[in-house]
Amino acid sequence: MREQEPVIKVRHLKKYFMANRHILKPSDYVKAVDDVSLEIYPGETVGLVGESGCGKSTLARSIIRIYEPTAGEVIYKGADITHLSNAKLRQYRNKMQMIFQDPYASLNPRYTVGEIIGEPMEIYRMYDKAGREAKVQELLELVGLKPDHISRYPHEFSGGQRQRIGIARTLALDPDFIICDEPISALDVSIQAQIINLLEKLQDERKLTYLFIAHDLTMVKHISHKIGVMYLGHLVEFGDADEVYSNPLHPYTRALLSAAPIADPKKARESKRIKLEGEVPSPIHAPEGCPFCTRCAECRPECRITPPIMANQDGHKVACFKYV
Amino acid sequence: MALLEIKNLSVDFKTRNGVVHAVRDVSYQIDTGQMLGIVGESGSGKSVGMLALMGLLAKNGSVVSGQMLFDGRDISPLAEEFHGDMKAYEKAMEEIRGVKIGMIFQDPMTYLNPVLKIGTQITEGIIKHDKCSKQEAKTRAIELMKQVGIPSPEDRFDQYPFEFSGGMRQRIVIAIALACRPRLIIADEPTTALDVTVQAQIIDLLKELAKEKNMAVIMITHDLGVVSMMCERVNIMYAGKIVETGSLDEIFYETKHPYTKGLLDSVGTHAGTGRQSLLSIPGTPPDLLKLHSGCAFMPRCREAMNICRDYQPAEVCFGADHCASCWHFCKDRADEIVKAQEG
Ligand SMILES: Nc1ncnc2c1ncn2[C@@H]1O[C@H](COP(=O)(O)OP(=O)(O)OP(=O)(O)O)[C@@H](O)[C@H]1O
Ligand SMILES: Nc1ncnc2c1ncn2[C@@H]1O[C@H](COP(=O)(O)OP(=O)(O)OP(=O)(O)O)[C@@H](O)[C@H]1O
Ligand code: SF4
Ligand SMILES: [Mg+2]
Ligand SMILES: [Mg+2]
Repeated sequence: MREQEPVIKVRHLKKYFMANRHILKPSDYVKAVDDVSLEIYPGETVGLVGESGCGKSTLARSIIRIYEPTAGEVIYKGADITHLSNAKLRQYRNKMQMIFQDPYASLNPRYTVGEIIGEPMEIYRMYDKAGREAKVQELLELVGLKPDHISRYPHEFSGGQRQRIGIARTLALDPDFIICDEPISALDVSIQAQIINLLEKLQDERKLTYLFIAHDLTMVKHISHKIGVMYLGHLVEFGDADEVYSNPLHPYTRALLSAAPIADPKKARESKRIKLEGEVPSPIHAPEGCPFCTRCAECRPECRITPPIMANQDGHKVACFKYV
Repeated sequence: MALLEIKNLSVDFKTRNGVVHAVRDVSYQIDTGQMLGIVGESGSGKSVGMLALMGLLAKNGSVVSGQMLFDGRDISPLAEEFHGDMKAYEKAMEEIRGVKIGMIFQDPMTYLNPVLKIGTQITEGIIKHDKCSKQEAKTRAIELMKQVGIPSPEDRFDQYPFEFSGGMRQRIVIAIALACRPRLIIADEPTTALDVTVQAQIIDLLKELAKEKNMAVIMITHDLGVVSMMCERVNIMYAGKIVETGSLDEIFYETKHPYTKGLLDSVGTHAGTGRQSLLSIPGTPPDLLKLHSGCAFMPRCREAMNICRDYQPAEVCFGADHCASCWHFCKDRADEIVKAQEG
């Protein structure tokens, strides 16, 4: 895989939000994403995990330019798209799509399923009317819905079915890179596996590349080839999924994995949780040094001075002074 | 005697499209210090069952049958004690709700008053029920805040909810629920909005209280991981019924009901890494207004038989407390069961 060109290459990406628009002090920024670099290769799924508010959604949205990055670069198949105007970005937008957490909120209740799925093709003036209809039928079948669903409205469907509609719409423009931002958290446990299976099937059939965000570490492990762990706007660990899960290096990754509930009583009894002391610092007043130093049991004096740089051990990357 | 015993509870809602049987003939019990998990899909009646117990059903809902014995006393609105006098029932519930039975809800913000100081919200219940002075209540509140893991509670006492993070707010709600030293805590998905690290802290706290204060806990959740971490017993619900009940290990390792099996398969515990597809339960959750007369799980069940469509399976027990309702375990009594349902 290595010789291939990455679909997405992110370099030193930053996204800061103004914390309070009334107080224009230069220090009052929410550093939602702070100097993140990563690469995503064709046909691969990168799972992104980390505490609520650590910047996962912001990173994803900055990559596909829903948010304007504050600094850094986003390179899509060799083309720098960081500073493209909206007009120029258009030719890339259809290739990069997003599946949202709440399938209900993201579907227009007044449109039929056919209109919802066909709309993006209309906007991009793809195919003629008959061609679009054929494509909608094909997509419905692909995501496991029935042909006669085409004339129904979103409220007539269950959560899992609505997520399928959302996925069909996402696929209408033949994207090659899809961001899945918590696509299963709003669904019932019994339905989550259906959607994960569908995403995997589509990936195999269409060589799709995913950035997959979720809180359920078991599901992330299942679907991902690589895992990125974020903490307070920083990417603190990145590597092959199996490697990160079996041999986590960063103290935060270790604590996170150890706290994940295991749906197996015997294993749950045996597991030893690493307890984190203290609260998460606010991204407005992030620590000077390593972002994790306020809660890290292994924090050393140098950790409090500058942030550690990413060390690379055979493709398993970690930002922690223990490994410098 | 069990601390809480629910016997044949049924709850209905009147809606424009017909009557929804949200809880259907549910029975179970919980002892002091015990931790019971209630698991099931969205809409299976987990919350409605608890709201019925607390007397907090929406106006269109009502308990249509059953007993709810708390410490031996029937606190159902249908109980003989109240003779159908809803004022008397409401008065009795006020002395139980939040005092003997504490509640923790999913979203702490719907429970906390945004314009009241945290300290005031914790002491309110203490002053009312312990009839103590403000100062005594404050001492107790600070002690509670310490217990639920709020750092420097003295400083935090005068702060407002917006100054707390999500995890800390949930801990405040827990402190309020604990304020009157309840014998039973009902936690309805208390950790879904929280990070796994904070979730684990809260689970530890509940376990500790169960052990040290002999408090019983009913944990409603869809997360089988949470159940594995804390519960001793588990009820699995589907479409308003308990379809399987057992000890934690029985549910996980001697699984009987096809729905329970499906749930365990879909969480991917049994799948390793790699890309073999997850086993999932096909189909969609049931529409309670359109249930057929048989087993509600039938349309999605891999093991369904002809009889499942038209007749309800009976409950069969395998050990002292491990029971499931599925035709696979009561086939031999089919004639008798069918007759009872036709009669
Ligand atoms: N539009 C915005 N304006 C201001 N601040 C924002 C905005 N979007 C996100 N933030 C802040 O940026 C930080 C990162 O948020 P983000 O939504 O990316 O987190 P997340 O990792 O996706 O969390 P979750 O798991 O809860 O979805 C948070 O502190 C958040 O409050
Ligand atoms: N006020 C109401 N009017 C009509 N139906 C209601 C009302 N409240 C609840 N129901 C119905 O009762 C059933 C059980 O709902 P309940 O809230 O107990 O589900 P639950 O198991 O707690 O689900 P969740 O996991 O989504 O919280 C659902 O089908 C719901 O639609
Ligand atoms: S009774 Fe029949 S349909 Fe219901 S769970 Fe058992 S086998 Fe499946
Ligand atoms: Mg997010
Ligand atoms: Mg509920």
